Amino acid sequence: MPHRLEIALKPDLRDPEGEAVRKKAFDYFGIRMDGVRVIQVLTFDADFSKAQLDRIRDAVFTNPVTQVSSYDPLPVDFDWAIWVGYRPGVRDNPGATAAEAVEDVLGKPFSEGQAVYTSKRYCLSGADLTRAGVERIAAELLANDIIQQWKIFEKKTWDPGTGIGWILPKVILDHAPAVTAIPIESADDLERISRERNLALNPADIPTIRAYFLDERVRARRAAVGLSDPTDVEIEYISQARSDHCNHNTFRGLFRYRDRSAGREEVVDNLFKTFIESPTLALMEKKPWVKSVLWDNAGVGQLNADYHYVITGETHNSPSNMEAYGGALTGIVGIYRDPMGTGKGSRLIMGSYGFCVGHRDYDGELKPRLHPRRLLDGVIEGVRDGGNKSGIPTPFGQVFFHPGYMGKCLVFVTALGIMPRRVQGAPAEKKTIAPGDLVLMCGGRVGKDGIHGVTASSESFSEHTPAGHVQIGDPYTQKKMHDFLLEARDEGLIQFITDNGGGGLSSSVGESARFSGGCEIQLEKVPLKYAGLDQWEIWVSESQERMTVAVRPGDLDRFMALSKKHAVESTVIGRYTDSGKLHITYDGKTCAFVDLDLLTAGFPQWEFDAEWIAPQDRGLFEPVLKEPEDLSALLTDMLARPNIASKEWIARQYDHEVQGTSILKPLAGRHRDVPSDAAVIRPDLESSTGLAFAQAMLPTYSQIDAHAMTECAIDEAVRRVLAVGGGLDHVGGVDNFCWPNIQFDSVANPDGKFKAAQLVRSCMALKKMCDAYGIPLLSGKDSMYVDGHLPGSYGETHKVSALPTLQFSTVSVIDVIDKCVTLDFKVHGDRLYVLGITRNELGGSEYYERFGYTGLFVPRVRPEETLPLYGALEKAISSGLAASVHGIYRGGLGVHLALSAMAGELGLEIDLARVPAEGVARDDTLLFSESAGRFIVTVDPEKRKAFEAFFSGLPCACIGKVTAEPTMRITGTDGRCRIAAGLDALKAAWKRPFGGLI
Amino acid sequence: MSRVRALVLTGYGLNCDHETADAFRRAGADADRVHINALIDGAVSIHDYQVMTFIGGFSWADDHGAGVIQAVRMGIHLGDALIQFIQNGGLVIGICNGFQTLVNLGLLPGLENDYRRRSVALIGNDCGNFRDDWVTLEVNPDSPCVFTRGLDRLELPVRHGEGKFYTDPETLNRLVENHQVVLRYALADGTPARGKFPENPNGSLEDIAGICDPTGRVFGLMPHPEAYNLPANHPQWSYRKEIARRENRPLSGLPELGIRLFQNAVDFLK
Repeated sequence: MPHRLEIALKPDLRDPEGEAVRKKAFDYFGIRMDGVRVIQVLTFDADFSKAQLDRIRDAVFTNPVTQVSSYDPLPVDFDWAIWVGYRPGVRDNPGATAAEAVEDVLGKPFSEGQAVYTSKRYCLSGADLTRAGVERIAAELLANDIIQQWKIFEKKTWDPGTGIGWILPKVILDHAPAVTAIPIESADDLERISRERNLALNPADIPTIRAYFLDERVRARRAAVGLSDPTDVEIEYISQARSDHCNHNTFRGLFRYRDRSAGREEVVDNLFKTFIESPTLALMEKKPWVKSVLWDNAGVGQLNADYHYVITGETHNSPSNMEAYGGALTGIVGIYRDPMGTGKGSRLIMGSYGFCVGHRDYDGELKPRLHPRRLLDGVIEGVRDGGNKSGIPTPFGQVFFHPGYMGKCLVFVTALGIMPRRVQGAPAEKKTIAPGDLVLMCGGRVGKDGIHGVTASSESFSEHTPAGHVQIGDPYTQKKMHDFLLEARDEGLIQFITDNGGGGLSSSVGESARFSGGCEIQLEKVPLKYAGLDQWEIWVSESQERMTVAVRPGDLDRFMALSKKHAVESTVIGRYTDSGKLHITYDGKTCAFVDLDLLTAGFPQWEFDAEWIAPQDRGLFEPVLKEPEDLSALLTDMLARPNIASKEWIARQYDHEVQGTSILKPLAGRHRDVPSDAAVIRPDLESSTGLAFAQAMLPTYSQIDAHAMTECAIDEAVRRVLAVGGGLDHVGGVDNFCWPNIQFDSVANPDGKFKAAQLVRSCMALKKMCDAYGIPLLSGKDSMYVDGHLPGSYGETHKVSALPTLQFSTVSVIDVIDKCVTLDFKVHGDRLYVLGITRNELGGSEYYERFGYTGLFVPRVRPEETLPLYGALEKAISSGLAASVHGIYRGGLGVHLALSAMAGELGLEIDLARVPAEGVARDDTLLFSESAGRFIVTVDPEKRKAFEAFFSGLPCACIGKVTAEPTMRITGTDGRCRIAAGLDALKAAWKRPFGGLI
Repeated sequence: MSRVRALVLTGYGLNCDHETADAFRRAGADADRVHINALIDGAVSIHDYQVMTFIGGFSWADDHGAGVIQAVRMGIHLGDALIQFIQNGGLVIGICNGFQTLVNLGLLPGLENDYRRRSVALIGNDCGNFRDDWVTLEVNPDSPCVFTRGLDRLELPVRHGEGKFYTDPETLNRLVENHQVVLRYALADGTPARGKFPENPNGSLEDIAGICDPTGRVFGLMPHPEAYNLPANHPQWSYRKEIARRENRPLSGLPELGIRLFQNAVDFLK
């Protein structure tokens, strides 16, 4: 018999969780309530005695100081109540930790089938509440029907004895696992099955698959192990491995690029090899600090004499778009496994985030599955719990609002780790597998969750996208595994390690088996969350928090002892061989027998037509805009634009101090409220080495030219690490592409060729910048298909595509943290310099966007101009001559002067006529142009000469000074005062949009 | 004289082990990171140490009240040993999740020498969310706490979602009267925050940020002293550095490092 414990805060205690619901219901929907109280519900699906029930309640689940509880419904008053619980099979993290506590208190483990389920009952009070309003609160605030179920109760029909009733979200699969043979008689059959099973097989791959399984020699070998036609395990394995997500078919594709404006054509065979791999390999030769790139789960660079750092980044867009919290949580926790699975394993030292969503206050006709505001709330919370509960600081991140992200949001997650340079005398970044090594799966168990996640992210979002791939990450389980694996690594017990992410065991075992040349897997040994999974499901499930590890047989006992100490489940599921075969059995019967090299040979390359038309030929033009009179008001309004305004509320939710490594924080200045150019951490607590990290994205420039978007994003990310004290000699990059579908279809994707050309141009720009700036790409990922079909008002749907977006991350080693500098003005009287040339480059700018324009003159990067300047700045910073340094980014000079002034609580007086410029006559252009390659630097007047000496012959000018009076005074090119604005008012405007959020 | 040995608890989602061990080493102690299960199964004995550290983190994900399940597990398996440890003169410090664990174990506040009764709690922040920020702390000069000797003010980072100190009025009065209230959230000028957000980041009663037992040898606090291990951790470091450079003098004007708390512990035990 199940038992249900309801727990609530004592009535006289404030209920912050309930209060947040009350506030959001009003802010988001205008629904007024007097109060909300939250009751935590634990349902024990176990036969406990009264004494046992009392014991667990008193020992664990009721704090005598603050809580009341009862195994009967608690008599908390309400007008309406909403019960919210998980759907069967959804990861219930609190349920799992509750079970651990109960087992400890009662001194015995749960038996098969016993479990604890958690849910909540929200007690809403308010005379004006209606059923419709309560339903809205349930569906649009408290629960997401993909992962949760809910029930609504009205006071008058509430039965105080029955309460919410009995709902046990137990997974019961009345199913005998079975392997199914897939007929391949005809290509049509296979295509039909691909559709029916949601495999997303590319039709072009089907002949290769058929040819392999119809080959007489292959059939003869298969017959020897009892197989004929391919099994579903095999076809699923091939489908996963061939998906765009795992195989990057788009980036490895053949592009026929045609520049219609220039009348030029070229064929690019493989974007990845041409634009990413080749420049990085060339740079690796020149930069000995690059230790490992392009093959492992993450790139490795040298931090100092004792440690290497590890870095990678990816996106988790599709799942987050459907279940924002779970998707983002799974995303950040998932990316943390990549450094864990790099080399022989690394310890996580930092994470970062990038969120691209529709406008928070969107009130138009389109109806995305989740309103952008709700979506943003969810992804913020997901990354919060994922980072904080993993004990990994999150000191950097960015948010970009644009309507294009309503089709599919972007959730970028980046992770950094460190590893000792050597483990047991061997280089830590290297790993391999010998035949005979055991295959172990460590961490979580396997369930139906996450099946076909990989193939779903390789498609545009539609009403047919299966919801089953949305998961809830479990940072607690993963943290235990992290600690365990590091201890095992240090004892030399790990030969090879990789994570189970997209594709599950299918990917991790399939890819690692190539190192020894084969493997034999006994699928029945894989621990399951519940019985009844088919063999193919066990093989491709993406259940989270799992690593695959190769362990020598002689090390097994010690490995398992450490696993037990850390309360982590580890299981031997097979062994690596050199047979050349992936051989999978289940209870002794073969269910897959495939040549490992099938996937590396024979499949056709994807092909794309790419057609570029220059912006002026697409009808883009510069707006006819007379210069505004009231530049003070304009600057104030610019500061309040969502993409400029303060987003302190997000940074504050993220622990950025854990590990004791924080040097430059996400927020700087006297009041700790202005975003830093970059984060700096000191990951090795015994050294003074700093690691600077920053990211940038400028998606609106893609409206004009994705080449410019890419150049400028890279330049900005580089300037950000330089601004805090990083050096050009050591800048590593991570490229994360998010692109709409580029496969042309005259009906479904009529501008596919143009989007393909944008991608080609972006990759060209990436190579140009990496070559020029000397940036090896330590890691990178692509996420294609960021499109959505959104319902409108009349039953129609609209395809909404995201702007082609590159998030570029930079990492730079700072040899001594003492040289780090922040953006805030430090002392009044300091001279204020602008470095770099301002041009008439307002195309795609925040300024033009303010008026609804796109423009034509998009910012470009001129490395021959910027590099000498950056070199000089680096020397000036190293010599301690810069009191503050801040890059000029989105919003332009005006906005970024304001940020440095607000951070320092000091004013400024400048003369726009002195700003280094080329072809600019207007004050608004000087203030809001987003030309790349520029900085604001303040300098002690006594060091003026020494500072200027570094910049002889370079575009660097003193344009004014820092003042004690907290006012921005800006003189225009004609000598008139153009801006006189108090910092308090500017700051108030900058904080207005999101300042009330916590 | 032999070096002080500090035990830093790890495992089950705890996460400040490396920097806390580092803080003790900076303070001149030997520090070992010890897994909770290594204590429970007897591989390591608490009695080989002089100071026991319950560190920050999310033990058991804090799903059922911060520090609750850690307290349950420690209480079941090591409850008597912990009390013995304290009676033998050992020091105990609980930071953030560790503080939450100490109050759930009843090791704090330890009124009337009762180290098993839960009489105070750390509950959800009034602001409704996890919050990371630096706070100013006023140190009670009359407190018996050995960790804060010689200190009058501190600035440290807080990083928690459940840090609101709560108890009944009677217990609160007794804690105040006994000088067991060690740290209070304060305004930048050192005067009491009186509940003002964000200086008091969580709505703690009486601005309480840390308490000790009547002996002063068991101490719990929400802020993280181990995260202020060198001047560069302080948010005003870059500003102070520039000022010092102008005046041609060493860096000054920053509050005492959090390491000082660990130093005090080591000095006390020497």
